[in-house]
Amino acid sequence: MIVFLLKNMLCSFAGTIAYAILFSVPKKYYVSCGFTGMTGWLVYLFITQATIFSAAVGSFFGSLTVVLISRMLAVRMKCPITIFLVSGIFPLVPGAGVYYTAYYLVTNEMGLAAVKGLEAIKIAFGIVLGIAVVLSVPRGVFQLEYWRQRRYRRKYE
Amino acid sequence: MKIQQVTEDKKKYLDLLLLADPQEDMIDKYLDESTLFVLSEDEIVKTVCAVVMLKNGQCEIKNIATMPEEQGKGYGKYMIDYVCEHFSERCQMMYVGTGNSRKTIEFYEKCRFVNSHIVENFFTDNYKEPIYEDGILLTDMIYLRRPLYAQIDVKRVVNLALEAGRILLKNGGEIFRVDETMTRICNRFHVDKVDTFMLSHGIFISAQHGDEEVYTKVKHVPLSGSNLEIVAEVNDLSREISSGKVTLEEAEKKLKEIERMPGAGYWQKILGAGLGSGCFGYLLCGAGRESILAFFIGCLLYMWVLAANKHKVSKIVTNMVGGVIISSLAILANYISVMEPLQIDGIIIGGIMPLIPGVAFVSAIREIADSDFLSGTVRMIDALLVFVYIAIGVGISLSVYRTLSGGGLGL
Repeated sequence: MIVFLLKNMLCSFAGTIAYAILFSVPKKYYVSCGFTGMTGWLVYLFITQATIFSAAVGSFFGSLTVVLISRMLAVRMKCPITIFLVSGIFPLVPGAGVYYTAYYLVTNEMGLAAVKGLEAIKIAFGIVLGIAVVLSVPRGVFQLEYWRQRRYRRKYE
Repeated sequence: MKIQQVTEDKKKYLDLLLLADPQEDMIDKYLDESTLFVLSEDEIVKTVCAVVMLKNGQCEIKNIATMPEEQGKGYGKYMIDYVCEHFSERCQMMYVGTGNSRKTIEFYEKCRFVNSHIVENFFTDNYKEPIYEDGILLTDMIYLRRPLYAQIDVKRVVNLALEAGRILLKNGGEIFRVDETMTRICNRFHVDKVDTFMLSHGIFISAQHGDEEVYTKVKHVPLSGSNLEIVAEVNDLSREISSGKVTLEEAEKKLKEIERMPGAGYWQKILGAGLGSGCFGYLLCGAGRESILAFFIGCLLYMWVLAANKHKVSKIVTNMVGGVIISSLAILANYISVMEPLQIDGIIIGGIMPLIPGVAFVSAIREIADSDFLSGTVRMIDALLVFVYIAIGVGISLSVYRTLSGGGLGL
């Protein structure tokens, strides 16, 4: 169990950094990118393996986590959020769905092809929702200043 | 009459500075960080002026003094106009603080300063001895301000903004970031009426300053690969520009440097693609041997992608041939393997990953979430078609193998 978890962590971390390299992300952001991708993948893994929910729900919560972390990192490190978002979301993109759809189409198993294709689309929608939900939160919430002022206001009003 | 900037041995002018600010330790507080100007005529110093840059494009005259016997001859006004001109490239507002003395305030008002704000008890709190001017005890510091306007070259500013926007858009920046950057640059250089309209592959900008003619430009930006390092650098530059640290000329130069940044190297990218393929092959299918194969296939695949990009092969061909390469290599590996049969799907899924259009997909979602449906749809179609091309490529080689091996895939 622990070995499985460790292998997953390592692979998602290294894999995310690999994509960061492909998109020429500056070196100083590699570790944060890897961390973002890893956390997203672990959330996805937990939901698909340990609960009854489907891959689409897993992708939703996975991407939710990725976007949350990316937004915090972007504010903290003062750089465009795309850097963390694009590489962090990669482990969740339904690459497998694309393959299986093509495979079953070729082997003439139309029913299975439709199932796999629709599943890939469902996963994509899970990601879309995850991103859209977090992005609709106003920018200020991710700055430390906002919470400080909020606490201050509560105390004195 | 000539004005020089002094950088060394500023203390030499202490006698003059003390005329305007009678306490030496108060002068020491700002003298080091301030820019000191000296006006001299026939080698004789007439006026000195110390200016400090504050945050957000503001600066303050900390000290200005003219030789007592030379006062009232216009040296001071000349100095202030010179200093304002000098800082107008970098700052928007010049401040000056003074005591409540009628004569001084009238002087500043003549130099086009207007009232800004008051700092209460500044003189009584900061100075050891009471200061009297024209028989009045000075207590509050009165601040005046004068807005700075540089010679505005609308065309040059708009060209700079457009160039920054083009570089951002080309390298995978989001629409709202392009818009924000362009408006920021224009506003910083005093072009206040700006309208921009952006698509995922084109920018329209029109700007006007005062009553001058409207200047409009359109730029076509073809969809292409992303380099997030450049996006990050342009973003940093735009921050620096709006905080007033960079002049127009420096910004133009810096932008050119940024565009020449090469991004990750050839081998770095190939190894990155391989590593990504290997890792995701393992994540999605959980097999060790297959992910090592996926590593090599990912490397080979990316060599093709880079070569295709270099020779400007179309997207359809690049991705379809990519799909064919991955799956035929995987089938080949399975065919020649002497050990137990390989899990071919793990290899192919891992291999596909470097082809997946991550930036286009994520940007599309974000733009649709921002209600920018036009750009969002264009990018989404771009991303979805790439998925389809890959599937077609994989499908082609799978079905060729199926036909050759007579019926079942046997995988």
